[in-house]
Amino acid sequence: MAAIEVKYQEPEIDFTLIDRIIRDDYGGNKENLIMMMQAIQKQYRYLPYSALKYLSDYMGIPFTKIYEIATFYASFSIEPKGKHILSVCTGTACHLKGSGEMIKYIKEKTGLEPGKTTPDMKLTLECVNCVGACGLAPVVIINEKYNPEAELSLVSEFIEQVKAE
Amino acid sequence: MKTLKIILNGKETTAKPDQTILEVATENGVFIPTLCHSNALEPAAMCRLCMVELTEGKRSKFVTSCNYPLRQDAEVKTDTEAIRRGRKMIIELLMARCPDSDELKRLAGEYGANLSRFEPLNDDCVVCGLCARVCEKVGGKTLTLSGRGVHIKVDTAFGEASPYCIGCGACVQICPVNAIEIEDIEDERVITIHGKEAARIKLNHCETCNQYYGPVIDLTKVMERLGEKTIPPPNLNLCPACARQKLGKRIADRYYDVY
Ligand code: SF4
Ligand code: FES
Ligand code: FES
Repeated sequence: MAAIEVKYQEPEIDFTLIDRIIRDDYGGNKENLIMMMQAIQKQYRYLPYSALKYLSDYMGIPFTKIYEIATFYASFSIEPKGKHILSVCTGTACHLKGSGEMIKYIKEKTGLEPGKTTPDMKLTLECVNCVGACGLAPVVIINEKYNPEAELSLVSEFIEQVKAE
Repeated sequence: MKTLKIILNGKETTAKPDQTILEVATENGVFIPTLCHSNALEPAAMCRLCMVELTEGKRSKFVTSCNYPLRQDAEVKTDTEAIRRGRKMIIELLMARCPDSDELKRLAGEYGANLSRFEPLNDDCVVCGLCARVCEKVGGKTLTLSGRGVHIKVDTAFGEASPYCIGCGACVQICPVNAIEIEDIEDERVITIHGKEAARIKLNHCETCNQYYGPVIDLTKVMERLGEKTIPPPNLNLCPACARQKLGKRIADRYYDVY
């Protein structure tokens, strides 16, 4: 993961909410750290710097450790994500079934490279490596919904829809 | 306790259960090259250089000796043809990252590594993780390995100059390829990793000789780690040399007092 050069404009962080996640939902237990981070990510679609800092201070876990975890797991992101997330499986089976073409098409349409977000923060393109449904390749995941045997039209419709928003 | 029978390079010796192969080898004076191992830290098996051939029962396999606990009678070979070939490959790859490292150059000579085989990457760091591990143990928990796979690298949290560093220099000292720089500039100590500033710590100022020495550390954290509550009373701000001189003078004065 590339180090972030730009400091993103952070969303307003609701620290009482984070308190609640840490204390009430997960009992302030160190073992639940990853789940806390997941809950925070769910809220903001990524892991904001100050939320992690707060988590670190609250739990007495070194900030560096939390950063390590945040960068280790592919499902965590320390960069803001768009409102919609379009994930294309680029595993072997999906690749053979043309997911590479799909990525190229998306790039043409939106200018997005894998892992990047449009400047208006509407759409993020992600590439995932095999989601375990190779028999249904190619798989495209639109906002957490899995679409087996996805066709280009599905993707283009979705992009149009996002653009029209 | 049960002792294990180990045949180490053809010679019979013993080991305690759960001793690592590297420990047994060292006890018996058998040298195994390592890059990511320190006796003071938990093994992490990052560099794979310490690979040996192990036969437990009928099966023989390659294992990293620094973190492989012996649990049954076994035969260990530390320097076979296959191992030398494996190590040579590892060194060739590592040399592409750190072509200037003396330690790697020495190893390359010993194992006859072909240095033109891989495109140089000039990364300076072999990602052994020692700095991050030692920082976690003795330092301010400043360094870590971020990312994973090919993206893994030594990093501070969010790549920022870290406020947690205590300037102990343990990372600098432990790095096998000298990839971390430490420099005292005027009243500050600067730690640089990959050409990027990782931390900047204020230095103490000696009242006698006006030199700057050792970093200013918040002792509460240190005492906490030692399990002590009270912070020792502040000393005069003296550098080690002046402190020694002063002590020497005191002793000398007392000596003459008596007579
Ligand atoms: S900077 Fe040095 S000690 Fe740290 S991981 Fe790289 S080679 Fe190892
Ligand atoms: S390769 Fe796409 S699901 Fe396996
Ligand atoms: S010393 Fe064992 S893997 Fe590095």
